[in-house]
Amino acid sequence: MKVDVDMSICLLHGQCVIAAPQVFSFDDDGGLVWVAEVDEAQRADVEAAADACPEQAILLG
Amino acid sequence: MTQETLAEAPYLDVADPTFSIRSQAVLEAREASWYARTNYGIAVLRYDDVMKLLRHPKLRQGSYRWPELSGVHGGLFARWWGAMLLSQEGETHSRLRRMANPAFSPKLITELRPKFQALANKLIDGFAAKGECDFIAEFTEPYATGVICDLLGLPFETWRELADIAAEMGLALGVTFKQDLATVEAATARLLKYAEDLVALKRANPSDDFVGMLVQANADKSQLSDQELLDMIVLAIFGGIDTTRNQLGLAMATFIEHPEQWALLAEQPDLARAAVEEVMRVRPTVTWVTREATEDFTYNDLPIKAGTTIHLFSQSATSDPAVFPEPGFDITAERKPHFGFGGGAHHCLGHFIARGDMTEALKLLAQRLKNPRFNGEVKWLADSGNTGAITLPIAFDPA
Repeated sequence: MKVDVDMSICLLHGQCVIAAPQVFSFDDDGGLVWVAEVDEAQRADVEAAADACPEQAILLG
Repeated sequence: MTQETLAEAPYLDVADPTFSIRSQAVLEAREASWYARTNYGIAVLRYDDVMKLLRHPKLRQGSYRWPELSGVHGGLFARWWGAMLLSQEGETHSRLRRMANPAFSPKLITELRPKFQALANKLIDGFAAKGECDFIAEFTEPYATGVICDLLGLPFETWRELADIAAEMGLALGVTFKQDLATVEAATARLLKYAEDLVALKRANPSDDFVGMLVQANADKSQLSDQELLDMIVLAIFGGIDTTRNQLGLAMATFIEHPEQWALLAEQPDLARAAVEEVMRVRPTVTWVTREATEDFTYNDLPIKAGTTIHLFSQSATSDPAVFPEPGFDITAERKPHFGFGGGAHHCLGHFIARGDMTEALKLLAQRLKNPRFNGEVKWLADSGNTGAITLPIAFDPA
């Protein structure tokens, strides 16, 4: 499963970091980093993160 | 920046009952400085700084000690306030938020939209023929509360009781909290009992609706305990009523001042979603949000000590001419995001519901109420903190 974030609309609220901390995190400079390819076991968490994003910036494929 | 320049920053008396977030004093302070000193900590005035500080890792949500600061120690309200999502940080906050998220998913909005429409139409039917109403008493209050009834699976007729309980509990947020403590405690007890009854009903009849989703999250009690489940339902009710009631009143007042925008919305109902955002940019009910420094740090050369209260002036930020060179109310304009739902870890949990219900309401109101105008004295809450109209008499031409 592919994970991408549209950084043109992401506002760095960090709701994805709360919802799926194994996939999304903040680096030391406060930038968002994520695992671009996750396995099926993480599908539920990643979908929860995409749902919870206030800006709906997370793209799953 | 030294302490000397801190002393030179503009000062805003936010405790003055006549203080207005839209006053000339705030505009001048924003022009002169990115922040102002206030009675309680500092106020951040400009867009870019509010954006950064909303989600700054050295700041926590700022109202968690409110009961204690009001001289209230212990009791049902103070316990609830301290334990609920908004007052929590770190791992407990993350866990509670993860458990609550499914009940607030944008996917549920599709199913709720026809209910929002039916509710709005029913309320408009009640006053349309007479060509006038108190827009708060006859529309925004029953609508905001009716939406909560829909969410909770309660009959619409319970709205009045729920609205009264929420209003009495809301006295806790005022400066007279301590004097009103007995009323606040009784209201909190009643709301907790409501939540208990809803949970019992949902345990007997499992479902995938709002309360049903929260009850499912409570299946693993290490993730969401029985008490946390009740606290979350109380928060959904308490947090969902006044905010939406006030925001829709502010929307109507703003449109009355911009009749061409109302006519445009009636012609192009698809603009309703953008209209909600634009109203929340120019006239948010939540005019500021509060943070507290968890440790000493420096921002924009200003040393900020642990424990400092920081008011993030959303209203001032989203009219900042540096970012909004043409700040006038325009529902067709492309805008940068507003801060009406806060931001960061504590971004409003109910925003998909609020956006959905306000969109449907504005769409139908613009269709059915032509040429709305003020029709008597509007009574307002203070133009700071959480603001809005208490009574909003309007006249209109029924469509």
